[in-house]
Amino acid sequence: MIEVRELSKNYNGMPVLNGIDLDINDNETLVILGPSGQGKTVFIKSLVRLIEPDSGTIRYDGIDVLTLPKRKFIAIQKKIAFVFQDNALFDFLNVKENLSLYLRMHSKLSEKEIFKEVLRAIEFVRMNEEVLDKYPEELSGGMMKRIAIARAIIQQPCYMFYDEPTTGLDEANVEMVVELIHKFKKRVCKFEKRVCATVVIVTHDIHLMHAVSDRVVLLKEGKIVFVGKKEEISEESLHRLYDTGVRDDL
Amino acid sequence: MQTKIIFENVGGRTIDFFTAIYEAWQLVIDSIKALPHIWFYRRQVTEQIYVFLVKTLPIAAVISIFVGLGAMIQGTYQSSALIPRTYVINVIFKSTIIELCPIILSLILAGKLGASLAAELGSMKISEQVEALETMSLDPVGFLIMPRILAGMIMLPIIIIFANFLAMFSVFFIASIATDWISPKEFLSGMQMNYRAFEFYFGNLIKPAVNGFFIALVGSYFGMRTHGGALGVGRAATNAVVVSAILIVFFDYYLARLLL
Repeated sequence: MIEVRELSKNYNGMPVLNGIDLDINDNETLVILGPSGQGKTVFIKSLVRLIEPDSGTIRYDGIDVLTLPKRKFIAIQKKIAFVFQDNALFDFLNVKENLSLYLRMHSKLSEKEIFKEVLRAIEFVRMNEEVLDKYPEELSGGMMKRIAIARAIIQQPCYMFYDEPTTGLDEANVEMVVELIHKFKKRVCKFEKRVCATVVIVTHDIHLMHAVSDRVVLLKEGKIVFVGKKEEISEESLHRLYDTGVRDDL
Repeated sequence: MQTKIIFENVGGRTIDFFTAIYEAWQLVIDSIKALPHIWFYRRQVTEQIYVFLVKTLPIAAVISIFVGLGAMIQGTYQSSALIPRTYVINVIFKSTIIELCPIILSLILAGKLGASLAAELGSMKISEQVEALETMSLDPVGFLIMPRILAGMIMLPIIIIFANFLAMFSVFFIASIATDWISPKEFLSGMQMNYRAFEFYFGNLIKPAVNGFFIALVGSYFGMRTHGGALGVGRAATNAVVVSAILIVFFDYYLARLLL
């Protein structure tokens, strides 16, 4: 369980996160929804300590990670995987090396076993072996997203974080991402029999929220304005949230 | 009002300057802390050594040949007929291996390697690849910077030794074989004249290692603090070249004063 209390972050005196309190339950898929510029990315990056908040606490299973030295945080970090908005694939490595890097650095598996894991991950995202020798620049946006998800999956995380996973993708690839989010939970809970498969997604995509969320947080101007089930969100609250943005898809 | 702006500007730049020194120093400390994990990052270290070698060897070869030949032309042109030719060769030899080759090559490699290093790390920074390393429980300093600094410190001396050898061989080839200006025996005795081993270590090992350290450190530093997209990457590359060039010439003078 992740407990967030009084989380705040300012940039040049401007509050971006404004005293956020939130509990993220084990095995749930939590979608943090809001238009651009509301602090969603800062919040999700604060959760994994890519951004250090100014104040507040973040507890993973009761451990306050913000007070932990980076060295000790690694034990928790190994349970976390993050899919970046622009995928952040290492452009100096090919797909195979991108996927095997984590295992090569952190596991004692042989090259053969690592390759087997890479193949499993690549199958998981419905791609084939041919892509393994390609470099990120040779891949389409949808393919890169799938490789980014495969790279996260291969870490066998308990906590999976997605930053705007459908931005810039066409409809078919959005559906694929939705399917992979479901598939990850199914694989972890049903096949690997692990109890942790917490998914946190920040997005502005209402369709994605409807498709995957167990619970939804609406974020506006660095504050939580709603927490609850997707069925409980009224058209009006969505309208209020997006009143400065485009609402055609609501 | 004008005075206030000037003071604010000077004050701001002074703070930026000392902040930069502190941050670069921190990077050095973090790289030293990452050294015990060198086995963990062995692949990155060997890759960087290879990259340094491949990127620099051809350019080092071309430049060193002409640096040697240029020194020879100057040496023979400036010396009068009264000066024994072995002395002229001695001056050419020492000025080339202690000063000319190390500094000219270091400056050129600061342009080539420093800029590419800053641009590479800068584009990784702005495309969140550095953050991706952190989420994979990998230390960006250990993974990206320590191997580059180590490669710079190991490879620059090797490149300079190679360059000095080529420079002197080209001088030998033109002066002794192609033109018969000096006999091979006199050429060798000119090189051995007044030989001090420390001068050789200084020009071939100490100075290049220090320069390699600065090229890699400055390139890494500006790369890691890149922000602002393509413009930021360009700025990081330019700053890396300028600052490492200044450090190289400054320490060239300072090390010579200190050690020779």
